[in-house]
Amino acid sequence: MLVTILVAGIAIGAIYAMIGLSYNMMYSTSKVVSFTPGQLGMIGAVFGAWFIGVLGVPLWLGFLGAMGVAVVYGFFTELIAVRPVLKSIEQHLYVLTTLAAALMIQQAVAIWWGTDPRPFPTLFGLGTGLSSEKYWLPVVACFLTFIGLELFYRKTLWGAAFIAVAEDAEAARALGIPDVRIRVVSYCLAGFIGALAGFMGGQLLLAFFALGATLTFYGFVPIAMGGLGSSRGALIGGFFLGILQQTANYFVGGVFVGVVTFVVFITLLLLVPRGLFGSAVARRV
Amino acid sequence: MTKMKIGFVIASLVACCLVILVSPPAWSQSSAPPLKIGWLAALTGPNSTPGIGQDRGIRYAADQINKAGGVMGRKIEIVSRDTQGDPTKAVNAALEVINNDKVEFTIGPTNSGECLATQPVIARYKVPSFPIGVVDSLIDTVKFPYSFRVSNNNTQWQESVLTYALKVLKAKKIGIIGDTTGYGTMSVNLSEQLLKAQGANITYKGLVEANQTDVMADLRKAQSSGAEVMIVWTDSAGLNSRLMNARAELGWNVPFAGHPVLGAGAVKPLLAKPENWKNVYNVGYRPMSFDDNGKLPEKSQKFVDTVSSAGVRLDDTMLWWVGLGVDTVQLIKDSVEAAKSSKADDVKRVLEAGKTFNGVYCTSCTYSPTNHNGYPTDDVVMNRADSFRAGAYAIAPGYGK
Repeated sequence: MLVTILVAGIAIGAIYAMIGLSYNMMYSTSKVVSFTPGQLGMIGAVFGAWFIGVLGVPLWLGFLGAMGVAVVYGFFTELIAVRPVLKSIEQHLYVLTTLAAALMIQQAVAIWWGTDPRPFPTLFGLGTGLSSEKYWLPVVACFLTFIGLELFYRKTLWGAAFIAVAEDAEAARALGIPDVRIRVVSYCLAGFIGALAGFMGGQLLLAFFALGATLTFYGFVPIAMGGLGSSRGALIGGFFLGILQQTANYFVGGVFVGVVTFVVFITLLLLVPRGLFGSAVARRV
Repeated sequence: MTKMKIGFVIASLVACCLVILVSPPAWSQSSAPPLKIGWLAALTGPNSTPGIGQDRGIRYAADQINKAGGVMGRKIEIVSRDTQGDPTKAVNAALEVINNDKVEFTIGPTNSGECLATQPVIARYKVPSFPIGVVDSLIDTVKFPYSFRVSNNNTQWQESVLTYALKVLKAKKIGIIGDTTGYGTMSVNLSEQLLKAQGANITYKGLVEANQTDVMADLRKAQSSGAEVMIVWTDSAGLNSRLMNARAELGWNVPFAGHPVLGAGAVKPLLAKPENWKNVYNVGYRPMSFDDNGKLPEKSQKFVDTVSSAGVRLDDTMLWWVGLGVDTVQLIKDSVEAAKSSKADDVKRVLEAGKTFNGVYCTSCTYSPTNHNGYPTDDVVMNRADSFRAGAYAIAPGYGK
């Protein structure tokens, strides 16, 4: 039984972690907590199912198609919902604009795709039971994303530019770094990561228009637990949340999963307000 | 000249009289106002599937009655409002059709959540109403004295499922699972209460979120409890299919019995293998079920032939939804004609008189002053979930012919 709980918990935790990484990616360059990462996961699942399951295109092409849709959505999120309100970021208008962007894509998909969950195709057909690909594909994708991001930040010039913009966008601009372009790329990259979560976890999640709201909600918990902006925090927070949910569901029942999750979450934040891996930011006084 | 003028006037008067006598009596038509029925249904949005099916039945019945001369010379006018499955919109729609359109009856709304909101409002205006929802409390002869239910209630579904589990499947140990919505929680608790009253041994009781991605642990727990049948209460096609897939992965061929959505078309594409749908029984209706020879009851088959030839689509909906729509309009017509009045108190008196209405879906609908639930419990039966065709299911094994 413990194995069942762990396998399912780690799989769903990997999906939450990737959604958390998508949150972080957008936050790092814009300091905006966007409400769209869950919808990116939904796009990955729904468009993956549409390209591969409905249109019958090859797996690789379906993958690229779903990722492409999410990247375009990420691009327009930055252009329409984030850029116009950045000048008055202290007013938190981005809460409304990104929420509107999230609701718009959700309703559009509901009208086009339908409101019933639809199947996500089997990708490789590897493994059965608890060794089925539906459990380990999200985990593999999550670790590859994490490692890829670490290498990107540490080993590439673009990664260094990302870090510079994340640290201080104005100073980066003064050094000649194109901060707007960096921000656009970060939203596109976040689109890719979010959609990857939905695509690789599609066999677990199903292709369902309402996935976005759930993933937005549960994807935020890992980054709040782990520390906003921390990839390691998102990773560990995601797995912790997934296992916690499955354990709570088994021992105390589905009705109390949300209660247990948020009791632990709030307690953790009371003890470590900046999250497990969040760093204190110096403030000029 | 004068004579010519007088002749012309007389001829004109005669002509006018002839025209009046020969022409259709338009004035007499306007003296019989239409019998307005408010139809509150979720016709768009996520909960619209039943409403669309019922809408076909209601409009078909109204057309047929109107073609045959209407109700005591009055044409039926269906005043439809799309509630979109939203209780707030349903209340607004109810108020609008009652106050602005002056309807004399209402049918719907088409789900329990909306009905719970509209019932007190409609009751305030003393308009006879026919809500379409299964929650038992929607019908209350004291709180809602002008409200009558043509469809079944939740207790009837429960009794049918539990009787099947105990008496036909002869299960000694029973597991109950549902989703964490209000309906799921209430149904699981009601099952537990009814089973305990019958002295049954409940070995597992669980509630899971409708969107929970993996239910292996829940089913493993149920399996280890020794459950010999699983009672399932969720209207989520996703959760139903996940439960069936997990059962197959565990190699556990325990029967599932429960909510009608276990047999919904939306479940089929979500199953890992078609055979995962075997040994699953959804609650249904005897008059709308194929027998062991694959035939509908004679009356139902005749109904199918008639409505199909009239162009009503049945292949993408449930036969009982269409039948329910037809029966409700027909019941209103019969009641008004029997009462020789469409006044609420007269219609209520006729309905409560105990005369049986023989519809196509509600084959023996009977009401009394203390019971406004008309559907006969014996007609609520279990169906084979994987047997859907032409709007109906095959009756589950164990009912005989």
